[in-house]
Order: sequence, then structure tokens, then C-alpha cells
Amino acid sequence: MRQKITDTLLRVATWLAAALTFGALFFLIAYILTRGIPYIKPSLFALHYNSQNVSLLPALVTTVLMVLLSLAVAVPLGLFTAIYLVEYAKRGNPLVRMVRMTAETLSGIPSIVYGLFGMLFFVTWLGWGFSILAGTFTLAIMILPLILRTAEESLKAVPDTYREGAFGLGAGRLRTVFRIVLPAAAPGILAGVILAVGRIVGETAALTYTAGTVAQIPESLMASGRTLSVHMYALSSEGLYTGQAYATAVVLLVLVAGINTLSAALAKKIGKG
Amino acid sequence: MKQTITLLLAALMLLMAVTGCTQGGAQDAGKNITVVSREDGSGTRGAFIELFGVEAKGEDGSKKDMTTKEALIVNKTDVMLTNIAGDPNAIGYVSMGSLNNTVKALSIDGAAATAANVQNGSYPIARPFIIATRDDVSELAQDFIRFILSKEGQAVVGGSYTAVDENAPAYEGVKPEGKISVAGSSSVTPIMEKLKEAYLTLNPKAAIEIQMSDSTAGMTAAMEGTCDIGMASRALKESELAQLTGTAIALDGIAVIVHPGNPVVDMTGEQVRSIFTGETTTWEGLQ
Amino acid sequence: MRERSLQENLMKAVFLISTLISILTVALICLFLFANGIPAMGKIGFYQFLLGREWSPSDLPPAFGILPMMLGSLYVTAGAILIGVPVGILTAVFLAKVCPKPLYRVLKPAVDLLAGIPSVVYGFFGLVTIVPMVRMLFGGNGSSILAASLLLGLMILPTVIGITESAIRAVPGELYDGAVALGASHERAVFRVLLPAAKSGILAAVVLGIGRAIGETMAVIMVAGNQARMPEGIFKGVRTLTANIVLEMGYAAELHREALIATGVVLFVFILLINLLFSALRKGGRP
Repeated sequence: MRQKITDTLLRVATWLAAALTFGALFFLIAYILTRGIPYIKPSLFALHYNSQNVSLLPALVTTVLMVLLSLAVAVPLGLFTAIYLVEYAKRGNPLVRMVRMTAETLSGIPSIVYGLFGMLFFVTWLGWGFSILAGTFTLAIMILPLILRTAEESLKAVPDTYREGAFGLGAGRLRTVFRIVLPAAAPGILAGVILAVGRIVGETAALTYTAGTVAQIPESLMASGRTLSVHMYALSSEGLYTGQAYATAVVLLVLVAGINTLSAALAKKIGKG
Repeated sequence: MKQTITLLLAALMLLMAVTGCTQGGAQDAGKNITVVSREDGSGTRGAFIELFGVEAKGEDGSKKDMTTKEALIVNKTDVMLTNIAGDPNAIGYVSMGSLNNTVKALSIDGAAATAANVQNGSYPIARPFIIATRDDVSELAQDFIRFILSKEGQAVVGGSYTAVDENAPAYEGVKPEGKISVAGSSSVTPIMEKLKEAYLTLNPKAAIEIQMSDSTAGMTAAMEGTCDIGMASRALKESELAQLTGTAIALDGIAVIVHPGNPVVDMTGEQVRSIFTGETTTWEGLQ
Repeated sequence: MRERSLQENLMKAVFLISTLISILTVALICLFLFANGIPAMGKIGFYQFLLGREWSPSDLPPAFGILPMMLGSLYVTAGAILIGVPVGILTAVFLAKVCPKPLYRVLKPAVDLLAGIPSVVYGFFGLVTIVPMVRMLFGGNGSSILAASLLLGLMILPTVIGITESAIRAVPGELYDGAVALGASHERAVFRVLLPAAKSGILAAVVLGIGRAIGETMAVIMVAGNQARMPEGIFKGVRTLTANIVLEMGYAAELHREALIATGVVLFVFILLINLLFSALRKGGRP
């Protein structure tokens, strides 16, 4: 009888938690949409930014660019490191624990510290100036722990039986990793990538100190540019363009939704293959 | 099916509960005053505490900011505005150029908070926007500054802020080619963008890049040569004056703001001071 | 045969180099933090810095005690964990094991979307929804530890939910089926068999969630009040370590700036300790 009560309690708790989460979520989205949609005009998407139209198109282009570049740097690095730690290093190797510990710690450092580091190292010391490149590398360092940890956990979750089966059939380690283990771990890894994308897109502090805040489409990787988040921050800073700031948030939401759907489709495809 | 309905109902209840509690009611005189201030290094705050005497100066040159420790600290103008607009018992301060109709600006010692009153001096609560350069500044930068201080430039400034020079001469410049970067205070950035656009119509050959961060970052960049012109919304520090020359380009009034439903319309400087130092804590305690 | 060996070794080298680069990056950031922070702590005095109760960097002479902020971070993070982790884990269970398929297709992308909302938007949402709600229900002005904990709890949900759900789904189906076959109810199978099996992933989710909560700045600044004084109860405001950095980094110079970087060092050590704790927990639970 007691078991039945516990069961019911747990079931109610689960539903309640879900209701809370999704209630808050939909409220939040409604809040952004109601405040932002009235301000979405074609002029907001003009190719050139000026103080009248406060166009977000340059920021949009910059954001997509930053996401792709940062992922291009961080995902291979993080994935390969995870592969090494899980597949090649001997289990219980202290190196593994050390990397894991520092990776988790790094994910808690406030983004502004990364921004400062990026400014002092990439912008000043390496002489890159306020540039997309400096911003990209700073962001890559920021999401590396996230990708590394989720990739590691996903790889670890693949049962050893899969690997043993492959070895038994004569496959080398490399082939096993790429053909058997990775596809099985793909959904988890992509979950990490999605979280990382969310983090990049929502980032402001780290970027204002490294990529700068210029509101035009950057001509090169060494030019400065602002992402949608920075654009939002800039617009709302002096209380003059709050409506447009929310409009930018709406565009951001659509962008993130788009990227997420793409990744999910990708995960499905890899998982099946 | 039953479970889906339960889920939807729960979400609905949550929504109603939260929406219902959002709007603040009328101001309650017996309630505590919510003092809202800007962050410690803000140019706006620095000017405010000095002009209202909230900053105590010691004989040995020491300075102490006596703002009450209970004051809410916000770091952006729009957060300040949102706080005041949402709390009937709140009081704060904001740059006059950012005033909107979600808040009410008080008159101080009888003078209303308008740009005109800042101009004629009857509203003395104002601080200058300053641009700073090193001595080896480029031709284009010099020309741009010439423009800002000219009649046309000051006309642009006068639109939202207060011009520093009523009788500035008309702009006569060489309009050189080139590229310069301007960096610094987020308070000055909006007006700088307007000035840049006005200048570019006269000199399309120039390229001006504006980086927004804050006063100190702007001054540092100017000193290191990372940018040509630095912007600040506060007076320059001694260490900055050693390497830079500062010029005031606009005057920006600071308005003391309260919730629109607040019956108070006028305050003396002394009343403001006693509220912000925590001496007066309730609205009815105001004498 | 030989080709494959070459390819194998090549890739192994690539993986190893990646690991070394990752470690190098981590080392670089640690170096930066400590090289800038430790000397600053020395100049201020370790005890005055870590246990000092007064933070007034703009006074002459300045005071740099961060104890109020450390406690602020501690309370707010603890609150966020208390709210966010149980709700997050239960919601993940809901998504993985209870939710009907068509609903899942809507809800899962929605959770992922939550992760991409900029902190600034969360902050404003908290300011106009959570803060007035707290003000109405509990008095005071609303900006408080409670408001910050509620908002942060919401913000770490995507992290906790996303990773926990992956972890639950990665558990082989046979474990659940086996439990049910042995007569366990649905709930019992989930909570007593699945969750413990997913323990490693769940702990990773919690630790990453804590990391996000401690490191979150922009949103907390808008709802926590930011008073730089010792905490006075959950209905009053506090300032967190991260808020301290962001509020003042823009205007800080020399020692002040270094003191803020030293605050970053403290944060780093905080999180390191938490990770060590969880690592010990993880080890202890292993059969």
C-alpha cells in the first residue's frame, strides 16, 4: 500500500515539475513575442545599419558566422579529446580525472572573465584587435568544457558490448570508434552542441571585450562585429530602443529554434546510419 | 487524455497567478522608500552624488560615498527605468536624454527637469560628455572634433541633449579621407552615432567606427592608441589627464525620477540628499 | 594491413594532440587568473580581502572585502539548485518516460529553445514578473535572494533537463524491461533502476547546472538588488561575486580591476571545491 502512495506521489511530482517548467517557458516566450513582434519592420532588416533603422541584419550575419566558426574550432577539439579520454586512455588514468575536473570547473567561470582573458590575450597580446577571430576563439574556449563533458558522457554511455562485438569481427579501434561508437553516441553529443550553441547565441559580456560592437557586416575575420545578443544589449542600454531590442530577441529565438531543429535532424540521420 | 488536461490546467493556473500579481498599486505613504542607484563607477552616479551632496568630502582629501547601503543597484539605464516604473515607492535618477513617459521627473528646488533649464542654469544637476584624445591625433579625428564643436555639430547635440556652446562657429573643415575609431561610454554612444551620420553627409570620404563599452575602457583605449577618440560620461581622472586632452561636447542633465502615480512633484536638494543617504526612509517622513 | 596501422596511429596522435591542446587552453586561463589575482590579494591583504565585510572601492582610501558577495553567491546558488535540480530531473523523467509522443515533439524543442534565450531577456522577464510577484507576496521591494533563486532555477533547467534526459535515454532498455518483468511498477522501475543507472550523467548535469548558476551574471544583476552588504534574509537583496565583477569592471582601474580578477580566482576555487565534492560522491556511490 505504501508503495502505491509513493508511486502516486512520484507521478504527481513529475507532472507538476513538467507543468511548472513548461508553464514558465510558454509564459517567457509569450512575453518576448508580445513585446517584440509589433516592432518587426522591414527597415529592421536593412543591409546597412544606421541610428534610424537600428537594423539587426549585420548582427544576424555576424551571429551565424560566429556560431559556425566557434563550433568549427571547439567541436573537433572537444570531440577528439573526449575520444582519446574514453577510447584510448587506460581506464582510471589520472589524466582523465584531471581534465574532467578542470573542464567542469571552467564551465562555471563567468563569461566576463573569459572576455577579459580574450581581450588581454587575443586582442592585445596577439595583436588581433577587436575582431571576429578574437571573439571566435574566446567563445570556443568557453564552450569547450561543455562539448568535452557531454561528448565524454555520451561515449561512456555506449555499452562495451558494442565495442567488443566490433573487435570480435576484426575491426580496428579507429574503425570501431567512427563506425560504431560515434553514431551510437551522436544524440548525446549533439545535445551538448545544442547547449553550446545556446550559450554562444546568448553571450554578451565575453564578446563586447573581444569582437567589439561595430554594427556593420564584418568585411573580414579581422574586422569587428556585433552579434544579435550584443545588439540587443546595446539597443536596450540607454532605454531608447527597447521595442527594437525585443524584436531582436524574437529573431534570436527563431534563429535558435532553426539551429536546434537542424541539429536534431542531423542527429537522427547519423544515428540511423 | 486526463493527464494532458491536468498538465494544461496546471500551466494555466501558473500563468494566471503570475499575471495577476504583476501590476503595482497606488503608492502607500507609510511604506519604505525604495532607493535605486547606479553602480559604483557610473559617471551618472558620480555626478549625482557630487551635485546633491551625497558624497562627503573629508578635510584630508578623502571622499566617501554616503549612498545608503540598502539602495538597489542597477547597471543600465533601462533597468533603472523599469524598476521605477514598476514600483510605486521607488526613487532613482537617470540621464535626461533617456527620459520617457513610463516615469515622472521631479522638479528640483522649483526648476523643472528640462534641457532648456539646464541651458539657462536654473536646473544645475548636469554633467558634461567628454571626448579625449592624445596629442598625436590624426587629421581626420581633428576635423571630426572640429565638426562636433561647430554650429552644425552642436545643433545635432541640441536635439536630445544640451549644447555646450550656443554661439559655435559654422563648420569649416578640410574634410580629409581616412578611418578613425571612437570608443568608450555607452551613454555618449547614441549622440556620437548621430554626430557621425551628420558628419558623413558632409564628408563621405571618411570612415568612422564606433565601439561601445564604457568610459574607462574608452580612456584606456585612447591612451594606448587602440582608438583615436575616447568617450567619457564623467570627468577624466588624473592618470588619464596626464596623457589625454579632454573636451566637453555636450551637457547632459540628470533627472530625479519616481513612479508616475507618486503624488510628489517637487523636492528640495536637501530632501533628495536625505533620502539617498538613508536618513529619510518613508514617504510620509519627507519634510 | 600496414595502411590501416598508419592511419590508426595517425588518428591516435591527432586525438592525443587535441587532448594536449585542451589541457593547454585550460592551463592558460588558470595562469591568467592566478597571475593577475593572487598579487592583488596580496596587496590588499588576504584576510581583508576574503573576510572583509566592507566593499567600497571608490572611497579614498578604498575597502575591498568580498565576504558579503561570497555569502550572496552561496545563498543564491543554493536556492537555484534547490529549485532547479528537482524540477529539472523530474521534468527529464517526464520527457523520457511519461510524455506521449506527439506532445514530446512540441515540448522537447521548446526546452532546447529555453537554452538559447539571452540572459538579458531572462533578466527583464524576472524584473517585470518575478520581482513584482515577490514584492506582492512577501513585502519589501521584491529584488531579493528569493527572486534571484527563482530566476536562476529557471535558467539552469535546460542544462539539467537536456543532459539528464540524454543520460536516461542512454540507459539500455533491458534494465527497465527487466525491472517491470520482475513486478516493479512504472514509477519504481524509473526511480529505483533507471535513475541510479544514469547517475553519472545526472551528476554531470547537476554540476554543469551549478556552474551555470554561479557564473550567471546579467540576469541576476537585474533581480537581486546588488546591495554590497552582508545578506539580511531571503526577502532582501544581495550582491553575488559575478555581479560584483560585471558592475564594476567597466570603470575599474589598476588595483580595483585586479581585485575583481581576484574575485574570479575565488569563483574558480569555489567551483573546483564543488566539483571535488561531487567527484567524491560519485565514487562513493559506485558498487
